[in-house]
Amino acid sequence: MTPPPPTAAVKGGARPQVAVKKIDVGGIERVYVWDIVVRSTHWFTMIAIFILAITGIYIGNPYLIPAQPGGEHFVMATMKVVHFYSAIAFALLVAVRLVWMFVGSYYARWHQFVPIGKRRRGDVVRMIKFYSLLSKDPPLNVGHNPLAGLTYLLVYALYVLMILSGFALYSVSATGYMESWEFLVPIFGGLQTARWIHHIAMWFILGFFAHHIWSAMLVSRLEGMGLIDSMFSGYKFLPRRWRKRLSLSWRDRDKPYEEDG
Amino acid sequence: MNEPGNDFRQELEARGVSRREFMGFCSAMAVMFGLPKGATAMIADAIENKPKPTLVWLNFQDCAGNTESFLRASKPTAAEVILDLISIDYHEVIMAAAGHQAEENLHHVVENQKGAYLAVVEGSIPTGANGAYCTVGGKSALQISNEVCGNALATIAVGTCASFGGIPAASPNPTGALGVSDAVPDVKNLINLSACPVNAQNLTATLVYFLTYGRFPALDKLNRPLFAYGKSIHDNCERRAHYDTGQYVEQWGDEAHRDGHCLYKMGCKGPVSFQNCPNVGWNDNTSWPIACGHGCIGCAEPDFWDKMTPFYAHLPGFPGFGTGSNIDKIGFWATIGVTTAFAAHTLVHLGKKFTGPGGDRASLLPPKATDEGGAE
Repeated sequence: MTPPPPTAAVKGGARPQVAVKKIDVGGIERVYVWDIVVRSTHWFTMIAIFILAITGIYIGNPYLIPAQPGGEHFVMATMKVVHFYSAIAFALLVAVRLVWMFVGSYYARWHQFVPIGKRRRGDVVRMIKFYSLLSKDPPLNVGHNPLAGLTYLLVYALYVLMILSGFALYSVSATGYMESWEFLVPIFGGLQTARWIHHIAMWFILGFFAHHIWSAMLVSRLEGMGLIDSMFSGYKFLPRRWRKRLSLSWRDRDKPYEEDG
Repeated sequence: MNEPGNDFRQELEARGVSRREFMGFCSAMAVMFGLPKGATAMIADAIENKPKPTLVWLNFQDCAGNTESFLRASKPTAAEVILDLISIDYHEVIMAAAGHQAEENLHHVVENQKGAYLAVVEGSIPTGANGAYCTVGGKSALQISNEVCGNALATIAVGTCASFGGIPAASPNPTGALGVSDAVPDVKNLINLSACPVNAQNLTATLVYFLTYGRFPALDKLNRPLFAYGKSIHDNCERRAHYDTGQYVEQWGDEAHRDGHCLYKMGCKGPVSFQNCPNVGWNDNTSWPIACGHGCIGCAEPDFWDKMTPFYAHLPGFPGFGTGSNIDKIGFWATIGVTTAFAAHTLVHLGKKFTGPGGDRASLLPPKATDEGGAE
């Protein structure tokens, strides 16, 4: 999918003076936005994080104490094995998604996360206005809105922090190539501090998760473009004039629509 | 009877250490280094016949606990005989000489045996106030250590203070204390034997290794011998089975504690600490902390006083909530807080949309039929 070129009509041209009023947007177009890699890494990452958080919370604070006699249930050992295997899956998923930022389809790429360009930087401000209840409508973005993109960058940073601190903790008792991550231990300020970072970062990820659910529901409801559904199907339902995205910015939302010439 | 080996045998006999006990000690050393059975004879031969190096022992900013450990007040053992036979030319706690005479001894060693003697450092080296916090014979610890360690064949830092700064270097580190590796930049062949105090067994083993092979043992990234610091306490712990099973002490003196279950939930730092305590024990393998029912405090790790505390909690607290705070509780309520805040936020947004002009309400009536469909 190639980026839609900015339209001349928007760059120049005075804004027509019309009464502010909701108008017909000229129909709906079903647009393939999220490719299969984006969608599958999204959901598998979610599953991995759930398993990692549940087992990780147990490992940090083992609240299940099996009844006597011991040796029949290896609760902690099992939790750790599940944690380690999920961690491998998680690390690979994050790695795939990070590589996909550079080789994937248009809306999977890195420029969806870093606000480059005047319009996307402006949309960051517009999204903040939206979240702080200063405006009713989020700006139209086909892929990630730029504020969400920035947030996901932070989340990826947390993921990398989790993976590296986890590798550091794993390395000291590991055999084989995983031992080579031991160089990370002093970088994290020792194993005990690595543990602490690993633990706190988990709560930040869970905190993000809480925000993510609510914001997805809210934006999905207000945009009416099938945001949540799109993460399953890959398709968003966009107003047909989405290709002239600039004229659909937050400011020009109520501007009369001119059919493509 | 002129062979040096025979002198050593007489020495052993005079102290009431039997040959059998000595060979037992040599086997224990071989086991510690992970060597096969044949190495015992090699070690015995080296101890009996090789010339013993001169050793100077510097005491700086510490409690002399490492000296105490070294002088173990138990029955004389083969290990002690070896330590006695090593010519300790300077040791403030146990030397007979005093004052200028003592300082002269140290000076002689540094002058005459340049690059051939072993320096043992105990205690951290203060750098604040130009080193004035610790002076011996008019010289600061910083000067002495640079002079003595800089000219030694090798420096053995005993105890966590000498290795990493230890308790004197704990926050806020009023004296600017440093370990040897930081305070003496041109130190050669540094071996850190961290722990609080050093396990005399590890000091003896390091010296025996040097006597046997004429070189120093393989070290980890913190310059600690791998034979003693290569594995975590946790991986060799006698209570490890209880950890894997999920049986934990939850309160001092509870049933699990009396049954010797894992001390993980009581803040044991065994999983993040490296030493051979579970194998060699302390005080001639009488016991060691976890066998006594107390968790490991990670005394052999850098900055343990700052990083391993609180000793009786699994992790330090959440930043800004005090060291005793519980991350999980704070994290849980913060997550609930985020959920609530965004739920409220969503409701406000949707409420505005619903009640505002041209509100986004679903009609109470069925949709009207049009040409394109609709209705029911």
